Amino acid sequence: ALSDEALANEQGVNLLLVGAYSALDGIRNNQGAADWTVSGDNWWFDVLADDAHKGSTDGDQADLFLLETYDWTSANPYVFGKWNGLFAGVNRANAVISLINSLEEGDFSSQLAEARFLRGHFNFELQKIYGNVPYISEENFANTEFNQPNPGPIWDQIEADFQYAVDNLPASQADVGRPTSWAAKAFLGKVHLFQSEWGQALALLQDVINNGPYSLLPEFADNFRLAGDNSSENIFSIQFTTDSGQSFNGNRGGTLNFPNPGPFGSCCGFYQPTQDLTNAYQTDGTGLPLLDTFNQTDVANDYGINSDEAFTPHTGPLDPRLDYTVGRRGIDYNGYGPHVGKDWIRASFADISGPYLPKKNVYTAGEDANQGTGAWGQQHSGINYHIMRYADVLLMAAEAALEANGDVATALNYVNQVRDRAKNSTPVMNEAGDAPAANYQIEPYASFPDVDFARKAVRFERRLELAMEGHRLFDLRRWGNSVDVINEYIQNEARTIGNFGTKANAYQANMDLLPIPIAAIDLSGGVLTQNPGF
Amino acid sequence: ALVCLSFQMVDAKAPPADLTIDAYQVTISGTVTDDTGAPLPGANVVVKGTTNGTQTDFDGNYTITADENATLVFSYIGFATQEIPINGQTTIDITLSEDTNQLSEVVVLGYASQTRGDLTGSVASVDVSEATKQPLVNAAEALEGRVTGVTVVNTGTPGDAPKIVIRGFGTSNNTNPLYIIDGVQTDNANVLNSINPQDIEQINVLKDGAAAIYGARASNGVVIITTKSGSYNQGEPVVSLDVYSGIARATNKPGLLNVEQHANMIFESLSNDGATVTHPQYGDGPTPTIPSQLIGYTRVVSYDPITRAPRSATVRPGGTDWLDAITQNAQVQNVSMSIQNGNETGKYFMSANFLNREGIFLETGFKQGTTRLNSEFKIGDKIIIGEHLNASFSNRGNNTSEVNNAFRMSPLIPVYDDEGDFAGTGAPGLSNTRSPVAQLVRRKDDYNKIFRVFGDVYLQAQLYEGLTFKTTISGNIENFNQRRFQALDPEHIEPLSTNTLFEQDINSFTWTWNNTLNYNKTFGDHTLNALVGIEAVEDGSKGKQISRNGFLFETPDFYLLSNGSGTPNVDFAFDGETSLFSIFGTANYSYAGKYFATVTVRNDKSSRFLGDNQSQTFPSFSAGWLISEEDFFPKDGFVSRLKLKGSWGQLGNQTLPVNNPTINISSLNEQLANYALNGSSISTGAILNSVGNPDLKWETSETANFGIEAGFFDDELFLTFEVFDIQTKDLINRDNSLISTTAIDAQAPFVNLGDVQNRGFDLAIGYNHTTSYGLNYNVQANISRYKNEVKEWISDFTVGRTNLRGGAVTRTEVGQPISYYYGREVTGFDSNGRFTYRDVNGDGQIDDENDRTFIGSPHPDFTYGINLSMDYKGFDLSAFFSGSKGNDAYNYEKIFTDFPTFFNGNRSTRVLDSWTPNNTDATLPALSQTIQNAETQPNSYFVEDASFMRLKNLQIGYTFPSNITESLGMNSLRLYVQGTNLFTITDYSGFDPEVISNDNLSLAIDFGNFPLSQIFTVGINTKF
Repeated sequence: ALSDEALANEQGVNLLLVGAYSALDGIRNNQGAADWTVSGDNWWFDVLADDAHKGSTDGDQADLFLLETYDWTSANPYVFGKWNGLFAGVNRANAVISLINSLEEGDFSSQLAEARFLRGHFNFELQKIYGNVPYISEENFANTEFNQPNPGPIWDQIEADFQYAVDNLPASQADVGRPTSWAAKAFLGKVHLFQSEWGQALALLQDVINNGPYSLLPEFADNFRLAGDNSSENIFSIQFTTDSGQSFNGNRGGTLNFPNPGPFGSCCGFYQPTQDLTNAYQTDGTGLPLLDTFNQTDVANDYGINSDEAFTPHTGPLDPRLDYTVGRRGIDYNGYGPHVGKDWIRASFADISGPYLPKKNVYTAGEDANQGTGAWGQQHSGINYHIMRYADVLLMAAEAALEANGDVATALNYVNQVRDRAKNSTPVMNEAGDAPAANYQIEPYASFPDVDFARKAVRFERRLELAMEGHRLFDLRRWGNSVDVINEYIQNEARTIGNFGTKANAYQANMDLLPIPIAAIDLSGGVLTQNPGF
Repeated sequence: ALVCLSFQMVDAKAPPADLTIDAYQVTISGTVTDDTGAPLPGANVVVKGTTNGTQTDFDGNYTITADENATLVFSYIGFATQEIPINGQTTIDITLSEDTNQLSEVVVLGYASQTRGDLTGSVASVDVSEATKQPLVNAAEALEGRVTGVTVVNTGTPGDAPKIVIRGFGTSNNTNPLYIIDGVQTDNANVLNSINPQDIEQINVLKDGAAAIYGARASNGVVIITTKSGSYNQGEPVVSLDVYSGIARATNKPGLLNVEQHANMIFESLSNDGATVTHPQYGDGPTPTIPSQLIGYTRVVSYDPITRAPRSATVRPGGTDWLDAITQNAQVQNVSMSIQNGNETGKYFMSANFLNREGIFLETGFKQGTTRLNSEFKIGDKIIIGEHLNASFSNRGNNTSEVNNAFRMSPLIPVYDDEGDFAGTGAPGLSNTRSPVAQLVRRKDDYNKIFRVFGDVYLQAQLYEGLTFKTTISGNIENFNQRRFQALDPEHIEPLSTNTLFEQDINSFTWTWNNTLNYNKTFGDHTLNALVGIEAVEDGSKGKQISRNGFLFETPDFYLLSNGSGTPNVDFAFDGETSLFSIFGTANYSYAGKYFATVTVRNDKSSRFLGDNQSQTFPSFSAGWLISEEDFFPKDGFVSRLKLKGSWGQLGNQTLPVNNPTINISSLNEQLANYALNGSSISTGAILNSVGNPDLKWETSETANFGIEAGFFDDELFLTFEVFDIQTKDLINRDNSLISTTAIDAQAPFVNLGDVQNRGFDLAIGYNHTTSYGLNYNVQANISRYKNEVKEWISDFTVGRTNLRGGAVTRTEVGQPISYYYGREVTGFDSNGRFTYRDVNGDGQIDDENDRTFIGSPHPDFTYGINLSMDYKGFDLSAFFSGSKGNDAYNYEKIFTDFPTFFNGNRSTRVLDSWTPNNTDATLPALSQTIQNAETQPNSYFVEDASFMRLKNLQIGYTFPSNITESLGMNSLRLYVQGTNLFTITDYSGFDPEVISNDNLSLAIDFGNFPLSQIFTVGINTKF
């Protein structure tokens, strides 16, 4: 046990700063909700969007089932857990800032900049998810005044933190897990992007692209393998590590998201990609995506077909990133052999989870260093989660260029960099290893005829590149098309999963913000007010 | 100083009136002894009508000078007073007899003793001989229904202590009373497990200001337990042997669906949802098909990676009744032996006890061996040295309740598969409940061993006539060792991939040193008993848990940390101490046996607080008037005794689960604070663990008590009635609204939350009578009531436990009782068969912010107990009923048993009365695959009336006549049969209406606790 006096020195600052980083995965003290609800990789926000189903049987984690089927209440433990985990992060950063402010001697500017970067990140997440959140300052922290009102956005405070980080962080760091001034610029750019401040966003993001140290990895899939940990494509990621014993520093929040049964056999069959997402990877004869028509045909689907019954995988042209994103029957599953279909799916055919398995968060066979376990042997993956990677920066810059100045050429350039990398990456191979596993066709765009087309292409590319990485819902929200897109997705998905249509309610406009957890309102003694419509 | 002063004033004010004329003064001497011939030191000898008096010395001798025509009054606490005219004698030896009148019984009040009839505080005593007739495990169970104002909630978990609350919830903190076991002080009710009930001589409960002598630790009341001792000059040893043996079983088992009902429930749910009706086990026909074998059942055959292989598992006809499967007829045994004796200079009591209590669930139970040695020696004339020593060794199994899993486990699954291994959920459509039988059986080698030694050593010296010094050093040393092994579960759908051994060790100690000076003197009609003392208490505890996984063999010989293959993990470690230093004084004064007064003051200094808040003074006053002793009171009326008494006092509470609540505490934390900053190796981090509150101060209860004691018809009928008002101020608890959800992830600080009032009454009525033909019978009934109300609160409200499905169900706020139930009020069903809720604010919408309200209270209107006993010609019968009326419980288990929280799991038979268009007057909403309409969030459906009346004990015994016992070489022999918890009358639908609570802001929430069992025993009591 350490008293405040014992921590009032450089050692204390460093210890508390590590404690603030440790909150990136959302796992906190006195959690009050399960690990998977707080998860730093935002996996379940894909379930709220059109990219993923909860997975497993409908009754398993019924609270997430209710979110997936758009039956939202402010008492949902997922809504509460995420909130609780993020505020723990905000205040662990505040603890560092407050301590530094109280120390009279020593230069702690880099620690202060890191702490403010982290606080900026946690507040940005809160802002994205809940919209109207209270801002807890370091003074509030020092005075134990945590019940603050939530009148509206806190963008100014988020920008101030990232700006401070831009100004005070070094351009490179000896520890790969610490943010640099370049990372801070990219985050600040994203903060502006989320406010449709396109010019400011573009300037920052292009500075990162033109002058920063980043580049795309040659292999798309390396972003989800050991080789991609802290590579040139990494802007800022959660450093997940499998310790020698229990992997407390592995991805505890993602523990459910492994096939069951399946090549690991244990837990738990969650986070299953949707048919809608799978369909999005269809390409036309020229290797370009079907921007408007991707749901007019379905990628061959083995839902309702048992593993001992015959099934032929899709033969039409596909973007090769599909098979690094979505596990589907007959195609190699991260080196564990072909996905066998139903026998690796926990959900029954009456459930709404479909036939697909997640891939990006599941470790590749042979990469034992990424295979961590928890107390009961559950998965605590060591695969780093990219809060932001360079492909994301390119696509954000493309969007900003387009929206700021209608700069179609710049947008085309950035989008094609991303597509070229996908094209030049090694595709998933067949079982014999002598040919691609499917009919992969992908090409860069020759041109964007106009801004509208470009906008559609940029947005579609974000989905294809960043699917199952926790970004989709927030993109839809800021594009303002979540109601249309998600309700259309519900209709489309019901085509292959009959019960999905029966069980899902419509996505409502007010769902662009999560409700403020009722437990938070209760505990604040009524200081917090609820978001509209809940 | 105050004491002496008042004494002199009395002396000066009452000069002996008779000494105005000349008279012969003679010197009388003699010896005062008891019935056995043992001398009575300290007996009072007073010249009647004067203040001239003395006390006998250690050998019972006295010398006094008096008028030759005077009368001497001999009195001694607990003995009948005798008056002997001197009539010129110079030697008067006298034998005093123990007073069999209950009112003359000596009541041990901790540092001092008093005669029951003289008490002015609220002191209740347990009829120990009746209470210990039940097969008790924990001595605190003896309080249930036998002491007014004491609420006892039992747990069925073998070896767990019951929850005791005296006169309502005055605190949100620890409600345990302070237990004084001979000299040992503890607020850990588990220590009472280690006392053999047969060793107990007295249990007295201080409920009001009388407890102020224990100051800072007394606000929850004080329970004083005195163990037996031998007697001086006993002559020959008395050996007792008591044995009982019996069977315990589960009762009141809730009904669960059989497999046909389960299948229909599943199909009806799917059909109601409009979904395709298909199920991996029940098929996809128009009606469900019960499979004869589990379909697609697999079991893990190898690990790393986990590989499953098909297995066959045959469904039992009708399915498996999992509650049946986990329960057993459990063995109950107890053997208790004691020996006691004493000579002129020493006495002892020695006992040994073995208890075996199997739980009604498989492989659960509690075993304990206890030994005790109490002895006392006289050294010379003035000094007594004695000790109490209790050593016990107990082993509690891993008694985790599997009720919840048994409720949820699909009836399709057999207990064993076709190869005789445990069957489980390893097939589609069986949910993910762990087999409760497998869980219980796999935990059979777990243990919780406690080796505990407690006792005291004391020295008492007579410094001067009436002035006694006593010093006592007492201690409690406890060694706790837990082994838990989490075995692999290959039948489970989410199997563990490794097994884990958990080893926990905790060493705790308490020591207390107190020194008291006692002055006791009678002068004429004045009796004074004054005591001053100092006391130091220190508590400490140090412990850790280490776990390790990867054990090749799952056999107990292998369960050593060294045999695991994973990296060992330190789950927690702690070391801490607290101390308390106190100065106290008390004085009892009585005049003419009619007027009584007591003053007590205590000052405590606790290490848990800072600065000026460390010390606090706790005063109390009480007074009594025995009206029936007054001259004007009719002597031959039907009222034989009438006494009024009143008290006021302040009592403290500083018992907190932490040692340093005033400062912020951070820690290095492997699980929550470390991070791989450089991407691979782990950097050490720190987090704030708990927030301190430097301003924290004592919680104080101010109690007022007023009582009437009345006896009728020569005290054959008695009545005691007390009303009380307890104002608890500056209630201490963690303030979770201060560290709200937007705060850092530390534990909230302890703060003084507010003020709570408990008002109520305790009433006891008893009648005993012996008929002319030798039937002796006794009826006693008691009833208690308290009304709890929060008067002031630091914030608008505080919620209870938040980590529940659906959120917190309790709330505490001004104007309501502590921990009332808060949620939506179900008003009926809508046209789709969903619950409708009351629109509290009338805005036409139902939302959580505006439409939750008071939906019940866990506080009873009253609790009661009825004791009947009779004996006739060697036969005896006793019956004991206990009950509670008007209290609600939150049946949280209904979330699992009544709603599709785990769709494929089993349900209560209540779902057979689900809403359908043809059954609109239903219990439950329309069946569905998923929870709809927020129906499992806190609402009034889960709040049930948990009133009950229970026949706790019925015993019939026969004592053999002395001619038979003598021919067998015994002094006495009694045989008995008894039944415990024979029946319970309740509307509560859970397993057991006695729902134990561990968190005082979240009372009576039923999490599928271990229920009480019904026990049938036969026993024998003998003395040699």
